Amino acid sequence: MDRKPMFQRKTSISYKTEEKTVLRGYNVTEFAEAGYTFIDALFVLFQGRIPAENERKILDYEVAVFMEHSMSPSAVSAIGVMNGHPMLPPAVAAAVSTFGGAHGPGAAHGYMIKKYLDRAFDENKTVEEVARACVDEYMDAGLAVMGMGQPQHIEGDPRAHPLHLKHEELGVTGVYRKFQTALEERFHARRKEEGKGYVGVNVVGAGNTILCDIGFAPYAAWTIGSVSRGWSCACHALHQLKKARAWSASRNEPMVQMLDLSMIKYIGPEDREAPPLSERQEYAKKQLESGEYKRWVL
Amino acid sequence: MSHIDPRIAQMKFANRKPVGNLADPRLRYNYLNREIGTLPPDNREGFRWVSELAYKNIHRIVTRGWCTTELAEAGYGITDFLFVNWQARIPLIEEKAVLDYCMILGLDDGLSNPALIARLIVRGKSYLTQACGGSILAFGHAYASYDSTGQMFTKYVAKVEEGMSLDEAAKLCVKECQKEIHFGISKLYAKDPAPRKLLDFAEKKLSAVSSIKKMAFIPFVNALEKAAKAELGNDVCVDMIGALSACMCDLGFTTDGAWVLMAVTRAIAAGAHGLEEMEREGQDVLGQTLTPKEWYDGPADRPVPSLKERENIAGGQYQTPQEWRAAWLKKMDLKGTGYSVDFVIEDPKKAAMKQHKKK
Repeated sequence: MDRKPMFQRKTSISYKTEEKTVLRGYNVTEFAEAGYTFIDALFVLFQGRIPAENERKILDYEVAVFMEHSMSPSAVSAIGVMNGHPMLPPAVAAAVSTFGGAHGPGAAHGYMIKKYLDRAFDENKTVEEVARACVDEYMDAGLAVMGMGQPQHIEGDPRAHPLHLKHEELGVTGVYRKFQTALEERFHARRKEEGKGYVGVNVVGAGNTILCDIGFAPYAAWTIGSVSRGWSCACHALHQLKKARAWSASRNEPMVQMLDLSMIKYIGPEDREAPPLSERQEYAKKQLESGEYKRWVL
Repeated sequence: MSHIDPRIAQMKFANRKPVGNLADPRLRYNYLNREIGTLPPDNREGFRWVSELAYKNIHRIVTRGWCTTELAEAGYGITDFLFVNWQARIPLIEEKAVLDYCMILGLDDGLSNPALIARLIVRGKSYLTQACGGSILAFGHAYASYDSTGQMFTKYVAKVEEGMSLDEAAKLCVKECQKEIHFGISKLYAKDPAPRKLLDFAEKKLSAVSSIKKMAFIPFVNALEKAAKAELGNDVCVDMIGALSACMCDLGFTTDGAWVLMAVTRAIAAGAHGLEEMEREGQDVLGQTLTPKEWYDGPADRPVPSLKERENIAGGQYQTPQEWRAAWLKKMDLKGTGYSVDFVIEDPKKAAMKQHKKK
């Protein structure tokens, strides 16, 4: 059996011999035998250190509450992929891949805070001052403030405020939380001044702030949050595989299925005949000249 | 809470005993007495999949108004269908020929990143479709950067349309973008004429129909190559991403459209790479691959502290921008943490201008 790796790379993460696997200097078997948890191992992996007990507790809390979020883009993707009955991993991979600009614990929130903390450092300003500037600059530009608002939990994400309280209770607040608190205060005040309704903090605003305060780079935080959702999405995919019909289009189910033919509402060009090949060039020229097609280009 | 959504009034509420922090008055709403069950449907029309791209019924599949079976029976092929699907129009014969050429060149590229991903995936005895699908993920803003390259071209082509001469726009692009990884002009194809031949073919074909379809991107890339040679030396030339991006844009595909169209094209070849890996090489099992200690440059082997010793470990929180900055810089030393990766958050004003333009 060939045991050589396909790529040759320097790595500071881990090595593996026939005798042991070592992660950031720790033998993983000894680590587990000593009583450490998977959550502790995430600190070792991304930070090369063993966390304080309170740090372990808050990460455990955060990952646990983030894992399942019912019908969100990630779960829907897992279910959608599983409709075709591929192997399970592609459904889970698709679910994890849904995390982007609008869904989930985006790295961008952490890097937004970094940008303004850099400004605080460079311009000798307080954290509160730059947090207020952040809100004003985003709102003046008509942009959403990252970490605020969730389209389903319109009164504030039910995970977010308890996360904030746990963050404080466990004594792991730092400069990110200071920034986030000032950001929220300014955000709510400004919306009130402008006569706008309440928009609560979301799980990125609360959870990502925690992850950064306990030492994870925003990108590492993104990885942990997004991939932890993969566990529940794997379960949604399994549910689809084992308890639902492939295709989700059966007319024998009591409820209209999501891919029933009647579920399509077509708003594209009207039905038209295919031009014979002998007329295609003239047809194509006319289409280009009229330019009507441009409204449909994707 | 019923003012938020009147449907809440129809729901049951659960009185719970306090647990943890859930009775804390600082919480936004009463966590001990929240509604249970799912929100009842409202009076809006039920959900349907809205599409301007395609529909089907029991007997017909239609894209952009045309029945796909009727199109195929009439003699139209896949490259025609791509125009129909993405641009809602029948392409000119010349456009079809150029797209064919682009797709031939985009199909395979040797043991490139998508092929390697496909090969790695099949080594796990996965479905071949996973290998093909995984290969698509190699397409980013550097590798196969059709979107970034196309957007860069679009910016300077717009300047030409606003009145700047082609040569001036090309010189400006060289000045502003020559260090971008998606620049489209490089030394990569100094000995391979493929990108140049593609551009010449496309220019010849599309010139023949210039009375109804004007090229903008191919002339720009030609000017860009000339300006780049003047600035950077004669050993640079248009590369494959530059040539393909320009052609796809002149065929009327959007830059992001070109990106994914070509990604799927490459995924077909990734399937062949996956098959070859299966045929010629082996499979891997978990734990098989070793990583020599000589390749490892992380923290030295160290004893695992006992849980008792862990009680003396302090957390890593920082309270001031000064402490935070110092810690961030120190953390950059350890790779695999993410601290050394650049992530540029755009100035909100600039981001807003882009969004406005998009609308």
